[in-house]
Amino acid sequence: MTNQSSARAGDPAISIRGVSMSYGGRRVLDRVDLDVCRGEILVLLGGSGSGKTTLLKHVLGLAKPEAGSITINGVDITCCSQSELSAVRRRIGVAFQDGALFNSMSVEDNVALPLRELTRLADSTIKLVAWMNLIAVGLSDAASLYPPELSGGMRKRASVARAMALDPEILILDEPSAGLDPIVSAGMDELILFLKRSFGVTILVVTHELESAFHIADRVAMLYQGRLIAVDRKEQFARHAHPRLRQFLDRQPDAMPRVAAEEFIASYLGGPRHDY
Amino acid sequence: MTLLERVGQAAIVKAEDAGALTMQLWSVLLKLPRVLPIVGGRRRWRSAVGQMFAIGASALPMSGAMALCTGFILALQSASELRRFGAVELVVEVIVIGFTRELGPLVTALSVSGRSASAISAEIGTMVVTEEIDALRVMGLDPVEFTLAPKYLAALITVPCLTILSTLCGIFAGYVFLAFSLDMSLRIYFQAVAEAVILRDVVFGLVKSLVFATIIVHVGCLEGLRVRGGPEAVGHSTTAAVVKSTFLIILADLGTTAIFYLLGWSSTR
Repeated sequence: MTNQSSARAGDPAISIRGVSMSYGGRRVLDRVDLDVCRGEILVLLGGSGSGKTTLLKHVLGLAKPEAGSITINGVDITCCSQSELSAVRRRIGVAFQDGALFNSMSVEDNVALPLRELTRLADSTIKLVAWMNLIAVGLSDAASLYPPELSGGMRKRASVARAMALDPEILILDEPSAGLDPIVSAGMDELILFLKRSFGVTILVVTHELESAFHIADRVAMLYQGRLIAVDRKEQFARHAHPRLRQFLDRQPDAMPRVAAEEFIASYLGGPRHDY
Repeated sequence: MTLLERVGQAAIVKAEDAGALTMQLWSVLLKLPRVLPIVGGRRRWRSAVGQMFAIGASALPMSGAMALCTGFILALQSASELRRFGAVELVVEVIVIGFTRELGPLVTALSVSGRSASAISAEIGTMVVTEEIDALRVMGLDPVEFTLAPKYLAALITVPCLTILSTLCGIFAGYVFLAFSLDMSLRIYFQAVAEAVILRDVVFGLVKSLVFATIIVHVGCLEGLRVRGGPEAVGHSTTAAVVKSTFLIILADLGTTAIFYLLGWSSTR
Protein backbone atom coordinates (compact mmCIF):
# COMPACT_ATOMS: atom_id res chain seq x y z
CA MET A 1 0.00 0.00 0.00
CA THR A 2 2.92 2.35 0.62
CA ASN A 3 3.74 2.05 -3.06
CA GLN A 4 0.25 3.17 -4.00
CA SER A 5 0.21 6.24 -1.76
CA SER A 6 3.71 7.35 -2.71
CA ALA A 7 2.74 7.47 -6.39
CA ARG A 8 1.36 11.01 -6.23
CA ALA A 9 0.43 13.06 -9.25
CA GLY A 10 3.55 15.22 -8.96
CA ASP A 11 5.95 12.27 -8.99
CA PRO A 12 7.60 11.26 -12.23
CA ALA A 13 5.96 8.31 -13.95
CA ILE A 14 9.33 6.73 -14.68
CA SER A 15 12.40 7.54 -12.64
CA ILE A 16 15.76 6.13 -13.71
CA ARG A 17 18.58 6.56 -11.20
CA GLY A 18 22.23 5.74 -11.78
CA VAL A 19 21.58 2.82 -14.10
CA SER A 20 24.75 1.13 -15.39
CA MET A 21 25.19 -1.91 -17.56
CA SER A 22 28.03 -3.50 -19.48
CA TYR A 23 28.27 -6.41 -21.88
CA GLY A 24 31.58 -8.23 -22.21
CA GLY A 25 33.59 -5.46 -20.58
CA ARG A 26 32.05 -2.68 -22.69
CA ARG A 27 30.03 -0.04 -20.86
CA VAL A 28 26.67 0.19 -22.58
CA LEU A 29 24.94 2.33 -19.98
CA ASP A 30 26.90 4.61 -17.67
CA ARG A 31 25.08 6.03 -14.63
CA VAL A 32 21.99 7.16 -16.50
CA ASP A 33 19.61 9.48 -14.59
CA LEU A 34 16.32 10.32 -16.24
CA ASP A 35 12.79 11.25 -15.17
CA VAL A 36 9.71 10.98 -17.32
CA CYS A 37 7.02 13.25 -15.87
CA ARG A 38 3.34 12.46 -15.94
CA GLY A 39 1.49 13.53 -19.06
CA GLU A 40 4.55 14.57 -21.03
CA ILE A 41 6.14 13.22 -24.18
CA LEU A 42 9.82 12.56 -23.59
CA VAL A 43 11.88 11.69 -26.63
CA LEU A 44 15.05 9.72 -26.07
CA LEU A 45 17.43 10.47 -28.93
CA GLY A 46 20.57 8.58 -29.74
CA GLY A 47 22.56 7.20 -32.63
CA SER A 48 23.10 3.54 -33.36
CA GLY A 49 24.91 1.82 -30.51
CA SER A 50 24.24 4.67 -28.10
CA GLY A 51 22.53 2.30 -25.67
CA LYS A 52 18.98 3.52 -26.16
CA THR A 53 17.61 0.06 -26.96
CA THR A 54 19.40 -1.32 -23.91
CA LEU A 55 17.92 1.41 -21.73
CA LEU A 56 14.47 0.61 -23.10
CA LYS A 57 14.91 -3.09 -22.28
CA HIS A 58 15.75 -2.12 -18.72
CA VAL A 59 12.73 0.15 -18.39
CA LEU A 60 10.52 -2.72 -19.58
CA GLY A 61 12.06 -5.06 -17.01
CA LEU A 62 13.43 -7.37 -19.72
CA ALA A 63 16.95 -6.91 -18.36
CA LYS A 64 18.32 -6.11 -14.93
CA PRO A 65 20.93 -3.35 -14.56
CA GLU A 66 24.24 -3.92 -12.79
CA ALA A 67 23.69 -0.85 -10.67
CA GLY A 68 21.01 1.75 -10.12
CA SER A 69 17.23 1.68 -9.87
CA ILE A 70 14.26 2.19 -12.16
CA THR A 71 11.07 3.28 -10.43
CA ILE A 72 7.80 3.14 -12.33
CA ASN A 73 4.65 4.36 -10.58
CA GLY A 74 6.49 4.15 -7.28
CA VAL A 75 7.67 0.54 -7.69
CA ASP A 76 11.36 -0.19 -8.15
CA ILE A 77 11.28 -2.76 -10.93
CA THR A 78 14.92 -3.73 -10.54
CA CYS A 79 14.29 -5.46 -7.22
CA CYS A 80 10.56 -6.16 -7.01
CA SER A 81 8.83 -9.53 -7.18
CA GLN A 82 7.50 -11.04 -10.40
CA SER A 83 3.90 -10.28 -9.45
CA GLU A 84 4.71 -6.64 -8.70
CA LEU A 85 6.48 -6.42 -12.06
CA SER A 86 3.40 -7.84 -13.78
CA ALA A 87 1.21 -5.27 -12.02
CA VAL A 88 3.50 -2.45 -13.19
CA ARG A 89 3.55 -3.81 -16.74
CA ARG A 90 -0.24 -3.79 -16.88
CA ARG A 91 -0.09 -0.02 -16.64
CA ILE A 92 2.42 0.22 -19.50
CA GLY A 93 1.70 -0.17 -23.19
CA VAL A 94 4.60 -0.92 -25.50
CA ALA A 95 4.78 -0.63 -29.27
CA PHE A 96 7.88 -2.40 -30.56
CA GLN A 97 9.97 -1.28 -33.48
CA ASP A 98 8.54 -3.55 -36.13
CA GLY A 99 5.20 -4.02 -34.42
CA ALA A 100 5.87 -7.44 -32.89
CA LEU A 101 2.37 -8.45 -33.93
CA PHE A 102 1.51 -12.13 -33.85
CA ASN A 103 1.41 -13.33 -37.42
CA SER A 104 -1.08 -16.11 -36.77
CA MET A 105 -3.76 -13.66 -35.58
CA SER A 106 -5.71 -10.99 -37.41
CA VAL A 107 -5.10 -7.35 -36.50
CA GLU A 108 -8.29 -7.29 -34.47
CA ASP A 109 -7.30 -10.40 -32.52
CA ASN A 110 -3.86 -8.93 -31.92
CA VAL A 111 -5.41 -5.83 -30.34
CA ALA A 112 -7.89 -7.96 -28.41
CA LEU A 113 -5.19 -10.36 -27.13
CA PRO A 114 -4.22 -8.46 -23.95
CA LEU A 115 -7.91 -7.91 -23.16
CA ARG A 116 -8.74 -11.60 -23.66
CA GLU A 117 -5.79 -12.80 -21.64
CA LEU A 118 -5.67 -10.31 -18.80
CA THR A 119 -9.25 -9.19 -18.20
CA ARG A 120 -12.55 -10.95 -17.59
CA LEU A 121 -14.52 -8.80 -20.00
CA ALA A 122 -17.23 -10.37 -22.14
CA ASP A 123 -16.22 -11.14 -25.69
CA SER A 124 -18.60 -8.55 -27.14
CA THR A 125 -17.05 -5.84 -24.94
CA ILE A 126 -13.56 -6.92 -25.96
CA LYS A 127 -14.50 -6.67 -29.63
CA LEU A 128 -15.90 -3.19 -29.04
CA VAL A 129 -12.78 -1.98 -27.20
CA ALA A 130 -10.51 -3.45 -29.86
CA TRP A 131 -12.60 -1.77 -32.53
CA MET A 132 -12.42 1.61 -30.76
CA ASN A 133 -8.66 1.33 -30.46
CA LEU A 134 -8.37 0.51 -34.14
CA ILE A 135 -10.49 3.54 -35.00
CA ALA A 136 -8.28 5.72 -32.77
CA VAL A 137 -5.18 4.71 -34.77
CA GLY A 138 -7.06 4.87 -38.09
CA LEU A 139 -6.97 1.18 -38.88
CA SER A 140 -10.65 0.26 -38.69
CA ASP A 141 -10.57 -0.87 -42.33
CA ALA A 142 -7.75 -3.33 -41.70
CA ALA A 143 -9.23 -5.16 -38.70
CA SER A 144 -9.59 -8.50 -40.45
CA LEU A 145 -6.21 -8.42 -42.22
CA TYR A 146 -3.19 -10.41 -41.02
CA PRO A 147 0.09 -8.67 -40.07
CA PRO A 148 2.08 -9.86 -43.14
CA GLU A 149 -0.51 -8.13 -45.34
CA LEU A 150 0.06 -4.75 -43.69
CA SER A 151 2.50 -2.03 -44.69
CA GLY A 152 5.20 -0.93 -42.24
CA GLY A 153 3.23 2.12 -41.11
CA MET A 154 0.06 0.10 -40.59
CA ARG A 155 1.96 -2.47 -38.54
CA LYS A 156 3.26 0.27 -36.27
CA ARG A 157 -0.23 1.72 -35.90
CA ALA A 158 -1.69 -1.69 -35.11
CA SER A 159 0.98 -2.19 -32.52
CA VAL A 160 0.11 1.19 -30.94
CA ALA A 161 -3.54 0.10 -30.88
CA ARG A 162 -2.53 -3.08 -29.06
CA ALA A 163 -0.39 -1.10 -26.62
CA MET A 164 -3.40 1.14 -25.88
CA ALA A 165 -5.79 -1.79 -25.42
CA LEU A 166 -5.54 -1.94 -21.64
CA ASP A 167 -5.79 1.84 -21.29
CA PRO A 168 -2.23 2.29 -20.00
CA GLU A 169 -0.88 5.25 -18.03
CA ILE A 170 2.46 5.02 -19.79
CA LEU A 171 3.02 4.38 -23.47
CA ILE A 172 6.47 3.40 -24.70
CA LEU A 173 7.21 3.60 -28.41
CA ASP A 174 10.36 2.12 -29.94
CA GLU A 175 11.34 3.90 -33.17
CA PRO A 176 7.77 4.81 -34.18
CA SER A 177 8.84 6.51 -37.42
CA ALA A 178 11.91 4.51 -38.46
CA GLY A 179 11.65 3.16 -41.99
CA LEU A 180 8.49 5.11 -42.86
CA ASP A 181 8.09 7.58 -45.70
CA PRO A 182 7.71 11.25 -44.67
CA ILE A 183 3.92 11.34 -45.06
CA VAL A 184 3.30 8.17 -43.04
CA SER A 185 5.88 9.29 -40.51
CA ALA A 186 4.11 12.65 -40.09
CA GLY A 187 0.86 10.76 -39.62
CA MET A 188 2.52 8.74 -36.87
CA ASP A 189 3.61 11.96 -35.15
CA GLU A 190 0.06 13.28 -35.27
CA LEU A 191 -1.20 10.00 -33.81
CA ILE A 192 1.23 10.29 -30.89
CA LEU A 193 0.16 13.88 -30.18
CA PHE A 194 -3.49 12.82 -30.47
CA LEU A 195 -3.02 10.04 -27.93
CA LYS A 196 -1.42 12.46 -25.49
CA ARG A 197 -4.18 15.06 -25.94
CA SER A 198 -7.14 12.71 -25.72
CA PHE A 199 -6.00 10.07 -23.23
CA GLY A 200 -3.46 12.03 -21.18
CA VAL A 201 -0.95 9.19 -21.33
CA THR A 202 2.70 9.66 -20.48
CA ILE A 203 4.70 8.82 -23.58
CA LEU A 204 8.33 7.77 -23.84
CA VAL A 205 9.58 7.67 -27.42
CA VAL A 206 12.91 6.17 -28.42
CA THR A 207 14.07 7.34 -31.81
CA HIS A 208 16.87 8.73 -33.95
CA GLU A 209 14.62 10.76 -36.25
CA LEU A 210 15.39 14.40 -35.41
CA GLU A 211 12.51 16.06 -37.18
CA SER A 212 9.78 13.97 -35.66
CA ALA A 213 11.51 14.12 -32.27
CA PHE A 214 11.35 17.92 -32.14
CA HIS A 215 7.81 17.94 -33.49
CA ILE A 216 6.27 15.71 -30.85
CA ALA A 217 8.49 16.16 -27.80
CA ASP A 218 7.90 18.16 -24.66
CA ARG A 219 11.39 17.29 -23.53
CA VAL A 220 14.28 15.68 -25.34
CA ALA A 221 17.06 13.54 -23.88
CA MET A 222 20.18 12.55 -25.77
CA LEU A 223 22.14 9.39 -25.13
CA TYR A 224 25.71 9.02 -26.38
CA GLN A 225 27.99 6.04 -25.62
CA GLY A 226 25.75 5.02 -22.75
CA ARG A 227 25.80 8.46 -21.15
CA LEU A 228 23.01 10.98 -21.03
CA ILE A 229 24.65 14.11 -22.44
CA ALA A 230 21.64 16.42 -22.47
CA VAL A 231 18.10 16.50 -21.13
CA ASP A 232 16.05 19.63 -21.68
CA ARG A 233 12.83 21.12 -22.97
CA LYS A 234 12.93 21.05 -26.72
CA GLU A 235 13.12 24.85 -27.03
CA GLN A 236 16.35 24.98 -25.03
CA PHE A 237 17.73 21.70 -26.31
CA ALA A 238 19.10 23.02 -29.61
CA ARG A 239 21.30 25.52 -27.70
CA HIS A 240 23.37 22.88 -25.92
CA ALA A 241 27.04 22.96 -26.82
CA HIS A 242 28.15 19.33 -26.37
CA PRO A 243 30.19 18.58 -29.53
CA ARG A 244 28.58 15.20 -30.16
CA LEU A 245 25.12 16.71 -29.70
CA ARG A 246 25.95 19.48 -32.19
CA GLN A 247 27.27 16.91 -34.63
CA PHE A 248 24.07 14.88 -34.29
CA LEU A 249 21.78 17.89 -34.65
CA ASP A 250 23.72 19.30 -37.61
CA ARG A 251 23.98 15.87 -39.26
CA GLN A 252 27.80 15.94 -39.59
CA PRO A 253 29.57 12.65 -40.37
CA ASP A 254 32.51 11.31 -38.40
CA ALA A 255 35.80 12.46 -39.95
CA MET A 256 37.95 9.34 -39.54
CA PRO A 257 37.35 6.82 -42.37
CA ARG A 258 38.36 9.01 -45.31
CA VAL A 259 41.99 9.44 -44.18
CA ALA A 260 42.34 5.72 -43.63
CA ALA A 261 40.97 5.02 -47.10
CA GLU A 262 43.42 7.40 -48.76
CA GLU A 263 46.31 5.81 -46.90
CA PHE A 264 45.15 2.36 -47.94
CA ILE A 265 44.86 3.32 -51.58
CA ALA A 266 48.29 4.96 -51.52
CA SER A 267 49.91 1.84 -50.11
CA TYR A 268 47.96 -0.37 -52.52
CA LEU A 269 49.10 1.60 -55.54
CA GLY A 270 52.74 1.41 -54.43
CA GLY A 271 52.94 4.85 -52.92
CA PRO A 272 55.52 6.10 -50.41
CA ARG A 273 54.50 3.52 -47.76
CA HIS A 274 55.06 0.52 -49.98
CA ASP A 275 58.44 -0.63 -48.66
CA TYR A 276 57.78 -1.30 -45.01
CA MET B 1 44.73 -21.33 -26.05
CA THR B 2 46.18 -24.55 -24.69
CA LEU B 3 44.56 -27.92 -25.33
CA LEU B 4 43.40 -28.14 -21.73
CA GLU B 5 41.70 -24.76 -21.96
CA ARG B 6 39.98 -25.75 -25.16
CA VAL B 7 38.69 -29.01 -23.68
CA GLY B 8 37.51 -27.12 -20.60
CA GLN B 9 35.78 -24.49 -22.68
CA ALA B 10 33.97 -27.12 -24.73
CA ALA B 11 32.94 -28.92 -21.55
CA ILE B 12 31.55 -25.70 -20.07
CA VAL B 13 29.53 -25.01 -23.23
CA LYS B 14 28.11 -28.53 -23.24
CA ALA B 15 27.30 -28.33 -19.54
CA GLU B 16 25.50 -25.03 -20.13
CA ASP B 17 23.54 -26.70 -22.94
CA ALA B 18 22.48 -29.50 -20.64
CA GLY B 19 21.60 -27.07 -17.87
CA ALA B 20 19.52 -24.87 -20.15
CA LEU B 21 17.68 -27.90 -21.50
CA THR B 22 16.84 -29.10 -18.01
CA MET B 23 15.70 -25.70 -16.76
CA GLN B 24 13.45 -25.21 -19.76
CA LEU B 25 11.98 -28.69 -19.42
CA TRP B 26 11.15 -28.06 -15.80
CA SER B 27 9.50 -24.69 -16.44
CA VAL B 28 7.41 -26.14 -19.26
CA LEU B 29 6.34 -29.17 -17.22
CA LEU B 30 5.06 -26.81 -14.53
CA LYS B 31 2.93 -25.00 -17.10
CA LEU B 32 1.68 -28.09 -18.94
CA PRO B 33 -1.55 -28.45 -16.92
CA ARG B 34 -2.64 -24.99 -18.11
CA VAL B 35 -2.85 -26.29 -21.66
CA LEU B 36 -4.99 -29.33 -20.88
CA PRO B 37 -8.57 -29.23 -22.15
CA ILE B 38 -10.67 -29.05 -18.98
CA VAL B 39 -8.42 -27.88 -16.16
CA GLY B 40 -6.52 -25.40 -18.33
CA GLY B 41 -7.45 -22.50 -20.58
CA ARG B 42 -9.74 -22.94 -23.54
CA ARG B 43 -7.58 -20.85 -25.87
CA ARG B 44 -4.39 -22.72 -24.94
CA TRP B 45 -6.05 -26.03 -25.70
CA ARG B 46 -7.20 -24.66 -29.03
CA SER B 47 -3.68 -23.61 -29.89
CA ALA B 48 -2.43 -27.04 -28.79
CA VAL B 49 -4.90 -28.66 -31.19
CA GLY B 50 -3.59 -26.42 -33.95
CA GLN B 51 -0.08 -27.60 -33.11
CA MET B 52 -1.23 -31.23 -33.19
CA PHE B 53 -2.25 -30.73 -36.79
CA ALA B 54 1.03 -29.04 -37.59
CA ILE B 55 3.25 -31.59 -35.84
CA GLY B 56 1.21 -34.77 -36.14
CA ALA B 57 -1.24 -34.79 -38.99
CA SER B 58 1.13 -33.33 -41.55
CA ALA B 59 3.88 -35.80 -40.64
CA LEU B 60 1.56 -38.78 -41.10
CA PRO B 61 2.12 -39.50 -44.84
CA MET B 62 5.87 -39.14 -44.44
CA SER B 63 6.26 -41.36 -41.39
CA GLY B 64 3.79 -43.89 -42.79
CA ALA B 65 5.73 -44.16 -46.03
CA MET B 66 9.02 -44.42 -44.17
CA ALA B 67 7.62 -47.20 -42.00
CA LEU B 68 6.30 -49.10 -45.03
CA CYS B 69 9.70 -48.95 -46.70
CA THR B 70 11.55 -49.91 -43.53
CA GLY B 71 9.16 -52.81 -42.98
CA PHE B 72 9.74 -54.05 -46.47
CA ILE B 73 13.51 -53.72 -46.14
CA LEU B 74 13.46 -55.60 -42.86
CA ALA B 75 11.33 -58.38 -44.40
CA LEU B 76 13.65 -58.72 -47.40
CA GLN B 77 16.82 -58.72 -45.35
CA SER B 78 15.62 -61.17 -42.71
CA ALA B 79 13.93 -63.47 -45.24
CA SER B 80 17.13 -63.97 -47.20
CA GLU B 81 18.83 -65.23 -44.03
CA LEU B 82 15.88 -67.16 -42.61
CA ARG B 83 15.34 -68.98 -45.90
CA ARG B 84 18.59 -70.90 -45.31
CA PHE B 85 16.97 -72.46 -42.25
CA GLY B 86 13.67 -72.96 -44.02
CA ALA B 87 11.96 -70.63 -41.58
CA VAL B 88 10.70 -67.77 -43.69
CA GLU B 89 7.53 -67.59 -41.51
CA LEU B 90 9.71 -66.21 -38.73
CA VAL B 91 9.82 -62.95 -40.70
CA VAL B 92 6.55 -62.16 -38.94
CA GLU B 93 8.23 -62.36 -35.53
CA VAL B 94 11.17 -60.30 -36.67
CA ILE B 95 8.98 -57.57 -38.04
CA VAL B 96 6.56 -57.45 -35.13
CA ILE B 97 9.23 -57.37 -32.46
CA GLY B 98 11.42 -55.04 -34.49
CA PHE B 99 8.66 -52.54 -35.07
CA THR B 100 6.89 -52.52 -31.72
CA ARG B 101 10.11 -52.23 -29.77
CA GLU B 102 12.40 -50.28 -31.97
CA LEU B 103 11.67 -49.27 -35.55
CA GLY B 104 8.18 -47.87 -35.09
CA PRO B 105 9.22 -45.27 -32.52
CA LEU B 106 12.55 -44.55 -34.21
CA VAL B 107 11.29 -44.09 -37.77
CA THR B 108 8.46 -41.87 -36.52
CA ALA B 109 10.76 -39.81 -34.36
CA LEU B 110 13.22 -39.29 -37.21
CA SER B 111 10.54 -38.17 -39.63
CA VAL B 112 8.93 -35.82 -37.08
CA SER B 113 12.35 -34.52 -36.09
CA GLY B 114 13.17 -33.56 -39.68
CA ARG B 115 9.86 -31.78 -40.15
CA SER B 116 8.95 -30.32 -36.79
CA ALA B 117 12.17 -29.63 -34.93
CA SER B 118 13.16 -27.26 -37.73
CA ALA B 119 9.67 -25.78 -38.02
CA ILE B 120 9.43 -25.16 -34.28
CA SER B 121 12.85 -23.57 -34.01
CA ALA B 122 12.17 -21.39 -37.07
CA GLU B 123 8.86 -20.23 -35.65
CA ILE B 124 10.21 -19.43 -32.21
CA GLY B 125 13.43 -17.96 -33.58
CA THR B 126 11.40 -15.60 -35.76
CA MET B 127 9.34 -14.62 -32.73
CA VAL B 128 12.56 -13.74 -30.90
CA VAL B 129 13.93 -11.71 -33.82
CA THR B 130 10.70 -9.77 -34.33
CA GLU B 131 10.47 -9.10 -30.56
CA GLU B 132 7.22 -11.04 -30.25
CA ILE B 133 8.59 -12.94 -27.26
CA ASP B 134 9.53 -9.63 -25.61
CA ALA B 135 6.07 -8.28 -26.45
CA LEU B 136 4.48 -11.26 -24.68
CA ARG B 137 6.62 -10.73 -21.60
CA VAL B 138 5.85 -7.02 -21.51
CA MET B 139 2.13 -7.71 -21.87
CA GLY B 140 2.42 -9.90 -18.80
CA LEU B 141 1.90 -13.14 -20.71
CA ASP B 142 4.29 -15.98 -20.06
CA PRO B 143 5.95 -17.05 -23.34
CA VAL B 144 6.47 -20.52 -21.88
CA GLU B 145 2.78 -20.97 -21.29
CA PHE B 146 1.68 -19.10 -24.39
CA THR B 147 3.92 -20.60 -27.07
CA LEU B 148 6.00 -23.47 -25.69
CA ALA B 149 3.54 -25.49 -23.61
CA PRO B 150 0.99 -26.08 -26.42
CA LYS B 151 3.78 -27.42 -28.63
CA TYR B 152 4.98 -29.80 -25.91
CA LEU B 153 1.51 -31.12 -25.30
CA ALA B 154 0.88 -31.52 -29.03
CA ALA B 155 4.11 -33.47 -29.51
CA LEU B 156 3.52 -35.66 -26.46
CA ILE B 157 0.10 -36.63 -27.79
CA THR B 158 0.75 -36.93 -31.51
CA VAL B 159 4.13 -38.67 -31.62
CA PRO B 160 2.90 -41.81 -29.78
CA CYS B 161 -0.18 -41.85 -32.03
CA LEU B 162 2.03 -41.60 -35.10
CA THR B 163 4.21 -44.33 -33.65
CA ILE B 164 1.24 -46.69 -33.43
CA LEU B 165 0.21 -45.89 -37.00
CA SER B 166 3.67 -46.34 -38.44
CA THR B 167 4.12 -49.59 -36.52
CA LEU B 168 0.94 -50.80 -38.18
CA CYS B 169 2.31 -49.67 -41.54
CA GLY B 170 5.52 -51.59 -40.96
CA ILE B 171 3.64 -54.74 -39.99
CA PHE B 172 1.46 -54.34 -43.06
CA ALA B 173 4.60 -54.16 -45.22
CA GLY B 174 5.56 -57.55 -43.77
CA TYR B 175 2.21 -58.93 -44.92
CA VAL B 176 2.72 -57.62 -48.45
CA PHE B 177 6.08 -59.38 -48.60
CA LEU B 178 4.78 -62.70 -47.25
CA ALA B 179 1.68 -62.63 -49.42
CA PHE B 180 3.89 -62.43 -52.47
CA SER B 181 6.62 -64.86 -51.41
CA LEU B 182 4.65 -67.50 -49.46
CA ASP B 183 1.08 -66.80 -50.61
CA MET B 184 0.19 -66.27 -46.98
CA SER B 185 -3.40 -65.15 -46.43
CA LEU B 186 -4.23 -62.03 -44.44
CA ARG B 187 -6.03 -64.04 -41.78
CA ILE B 188 -3.10 -66.35 -41.11
CA TYR B 189 -0.70 -63.42 -41.14
CA PHE B 190 -2.67 -61.57 -38.52
CA GLN B 191 -2.94 -64.68 -36.37
CA ALA B 192 0.83 -64.90 -36.45
CA VAL B 193 1.10 -61.19 -35.63
CA ALA B 194 -1.32 -61.54 -32.74
CA GLU B 195 0.82 -64.34 -31.32
CA ALA B 196 4.01 -62.34 -31.69
CA VAL B 197 2.80 -59.07 -30.16
CA ILE B 198 3.23 -58.73 -26.44
CA LEU B 199 1.92 -55.82 -24.42
CA ARG B 200 5.30 -55.20 -22.79
CA ASP B 201 6.93 -54.50 -26.15
CA VAL B 202 4.15 -52.11 -27.12
CA VAL B 203 4.45 -50.20 -23.83
CA PHE B 204 8.22 -50.15 -24.22
CA GLY B 205 7.86 -48.64 -27.70
CA LEU B 206 5.39 -46.01 -26.55
CA VAL B 207 7.59 -44.95 -23.63
CA LYS B 208 10.41 -44.50 -26.11
CA SER B 209 8.23 -42.44 -28.40
CA LEU B 210 7.32 -40.15 -25.48
CA VAL B 211 11.01 -39.62 -24.81
CA PHE B 212 11.64 -38.88 -28.48
CA ALA B 213 8.71 -36.45 -28.64
CA THR B 214 10.11 -34.54 -25.69
CA ILE B 215 13.53 -34.35 -27.32
CA ILE B 216 12.17 -33.07 -30.65
CA VAL B 217 10.01 -30.29 -29.26
CA HIS B 218 12.50 -29.42 -26.55
CA VAL B 219 15.51 -29.00 -28.79
CA GLY B 220 13.41 -27.10 -31.34
CA CYS B 221 12.19 -24.63 -28.73
CA LEU B 222 15.58 -24.16 -27.10
CA GLU B 223 17.36 -23.53 -30.39
CA GLY B 224 14.62 -21.07 -31.34
CA LEU B 225 14.86 -19.17 -28.06
CA ARG B 226 18.62 -18.94 -28.42
CA VAL B 227 18.44 -17.00 -31.68
CA ARG B 228 20.27 -13.69 -31.34
CA GLY B 229 20.59 -11.06 -34.01
CA GLY B 230 18.92 -11.07 -37.38
CA PRO B 231 17.00 -13.45 -39.64
CA GLU B 232 20.12 -15.35 -40.73
CA ALA B 233 20.50 -16.59 -37.16
CA VAL B 234 17.11 -18.29 -37.58
CA GLY B 235 18.56 -20.37 -40.42
CA HIS B 236 21.45 -21.53 -38.25
CA SER B 237 19.08 -22.43 -35.44
CA THR B 238 16.89 -24.63 -37.66
CA THR B 239 19.92 -26.58 -38.85
CA ALA B 240 21.20 -26.96 -35.31
CA ALA B 241 17.75 -28.07 -34.14
CA VAL B 242 17.51 -30.88 -36.69
CA VAL B 243 21.09 -32.09 -36.17
CA LYS B 244 20.89 -32.01 -32.39
CA SER B 245 17.45 -33.58 -32.11
CA THR B 246 18.36 -36.40 -34.50
CA PHE B 247 21.53 -37.13 -32.60
CA LEU B 248 19.82 -36.96 -29.22
CA ILE B 249 17.05 -39.28 -30.43
CA ILE B 250 19.60 -41.98 -31.30
CA LEU B 251 21.39 -41.40 -28.02
CA ALA B 252 18.17 -41.60 -26.04
CA ASP B 253 17.20 -44.73 -27.96
CA LEU B 254 20.43 -46.35 -26.85
CA GLY B 255 19.88 -45.14 -23.29
CA THR B 256 16.31 -46.38 -22.93
CA THR B 257 17.07 -49.69 -24.63
CA ALA B 258 20.03 -50.22 -22.32
CA ILE B 259 17.89 -49.46 -19.28
CA PHE B 260 15.18 -51.87 -20.38
CA TYR B 261 17.82 -54.49 -21.10
CA LEU B 262 19.49 -54.11 -17.72
CA LEU B 263 16.12 -54.33 -15.99
CA GLY B 264 15.63 -57.62 -17.81
CA TRP B 265 12.44 -56.45 -19.53
CA SER B 266 13.58 -57.11 -23.05
CA SER B 267 14.23 -60.86 -22.82
CA THR B 268 11.97 -62.70 -25.21
CA ARG B 269 9.10 -64.45 -23.52
